[in-house]
Amino acid sequence: MKKRILICDDEETIRLLLTEALKDEYEAVEVADGRDVLKLVTKEQFDLLIIDIKMPSIHGLDVIQRIRERGIKIPVIICSAYRLMADDVVVRTSDVAAFITKPFDIKTLKSKIFEIIGS
Amino acid sequence: MTNKKLLLFLRFIMILATILIMVYSKKGLHVWEPGYLIALVYFLSNLVLYLIPNELFKKSRFSFFVFLFDIITISLAIYLTQGIETDFYLIYFLVIFVASVSQDIAGSIPIAVVSCIIYIWLTLRSHPGVSFFSAPILIKIPFLFIISLVSSLWSESTRKELKEKKLLEKYNEDLQKQVTQIAAKEIELRVYNEKIIDSVPSGVIATKGDGEITTLNPEACRVFGLKKDPILGSNIKGLEGLSALWDKMAETIRTGLAVSRDEVTVRGSDNRDIPIGFSVSPIPGHGAHVPGCVAIFKDLSEIRSLEEKLKHAERLSYLGKMASWVAHEIRNPLTAIDGFAQLLPTTTDQKKIELFTDEIHKGSQRINHIIDDILAFARTKRKVEPQEINLRSLIETLIKDVRIKVNVTGDPFPISGEAESLRRLFMNLINNAIEAMGESGKLDINFSNDGIWAVTEIRDYGPGIPRKFLNNLFTPFFTTKERGTGLGLAIVQKIADEHGGKIEVESIEGEGTIFRIYLRILQTDGPK
Repeated sequence: MKKRILICDDEETIRLLLTEALKDEYEAVEVADGRDVLKLVTKEQFDLLIIDIKMPSIHGLDVIQRIRERGIKIPVIICSAYRLMADDVVVRTSDVAAFITKPFDIKTLKSKIFEIIGS
Repeated sequence: MTNKKLLLFLRFIMILATILIMVYSKKGLHVWEPGYLIALVYFLSNLVLYLIPNELFKKSRFSFFVFLFDIITISLAIYLTQGIETDFYLIYFLVIFVASVSQDIAGSIPIAVVSCIIYIWLTLRSHPGVSFFSAPILIKIPFLFIISLVSSLWSESTRKELKEKKLLEKYNEDLQKQVTQIAAKEIELRVYNEKIIDSVPSGVIATKGDGEITTLNPEACRVFGLKKDPILGSNIKGLEGLSALWDKMAETIRTGLAVSRDEVTVRGSDNRDIPIGFSVSPIPGHGAHVPGCVAIFKDLSEIRSLEEKLKHAERLSYLGKMASWVAHEIRNPLTAIDGFAQLLPTTTDQKKIELFTDEIHKGSQRINHIIDDILAFARTKRKVEPQEINLRSLIETLIKDVRIKVNVTGDPFPISGEAESLRRLFMNLINNAIEAMGESGKLDINFSNDGIWAVTEIRDYGPGIPRKFLNNLFTPFFTTKERGTGLGLAIVQKIADEHGGKIEVESIEGEGTIFRIYLRILQTDGPK
């Protein structure tokens, strides 16, 4: 049984790219709105969350914080266009498994995912 | 001289005259005869009068009794001496004269009458045979009255003249005082006005019609770097640094029209360029003649410097925002291009290949669009190359492919503008409206003209813009849209500015938004 990855990005093309890149090895579920992440993670079991930071409805870091508040221990990879965020104190202290900046190398992404959840 | 002093003085003369007559008259008396005693009493009476208060002398009745006493005394002297044959009768003339001089005509006539009666009685008593109508009596009586009348009239006229002279002197004195007071007030007022002008925090300079400087306050001296004393009275035309200001002042003197809120650059004594904001007012003269003008100005150097700093800070702020925006906006499509390019070699499925290449294409288009927006926003403000534009045709080409209902009404006058820029302006506004409403919305576009402006009104029936965002709508990188670049309306504003136009926005939450774009109507009959 494939491991499940939840992808959250407001850009449709990024969601499509991640899904296409990962769907052979993982089951990818995509949502455009951070609020949908909060609903889905409580209902379903996911092995990894890949989430953008700057989104119109809710900020990615807020989503992560609320997930943690609910006691959900899902590993998180932040995938953002902001390079500086990698060194951001908030990111370093908020239980994030990895930080990938756009544009990213797909092989690197896959290896990071493998490191975190295996295949 | 007071009444008392005059009377005593005249009476003293009378006493002297009486004594002289007594001594030198051919029928004079001998020492220790009654006449001498009378003269002594007469003299003593004068001394008594000396002790009487001044006020009493002002009463005509008192004077009358004094003169009556004199007449009786003289008559007694005549009676006790040699009767009417003596020279004492001459003293009657003296008494009447003194009475006339001391009093008015009404006071002197009774004295003359009494004198006449006593004299006639004495004459008739000492010469019982003489007729009342005899020559010695008839000749003397008219003289007594003539003396009374003439001396009264003379003294009256003299008194009148003296009174008038005194009045005139008093009037002159008052006038002199008033002139002194007015002069003092004028000086005080001038000093006060100078203080007002000197305390004005703006520069004040006034000139005559020929340019002679009449007023220069300390702030003007400070701004121009001039000293007041050598400059006052000199000609402004001689100050080369102020020529731009003088040109404006001369125009006011020539036309009589005030200039308000204008700006020029003058040059201070240290050769520094000083921007000043000023107003010039003509000094009113007779009719259309303007004898001079006054300019009130503010040194704008500091304001300009602050504006420059602010602009610089704004530029840096925009630059920072733009860098951040570019990073985010470009990296997303770049990620798609890069990512799908990595995936392309991993598939042989034609559909997948088409999907991936399509995404790559969309990504590059998006980057291109972002670059266009940056260039449109960042390009230097430039002068529009004008061409005649029909706004209705321009907008109709923009809306022919939109998927919502657009209702176009009105007919605009042609305007002068640049088609490509205006197409972008209206495209941004129409796209905003469509994005706000979704594909089920409706758009009203109306054209109207108000003589100067061709007004294009674009109304959508979307959710409207919250009031708190209205002031920032045209601020670069400000966006209320989920995927807005924040440059669309900033570009709209910029294009409108370049065309000398203006934009109004009205929005009610829940009802929709109206944008009105004012562009100048093409003037076909005027000079182009």
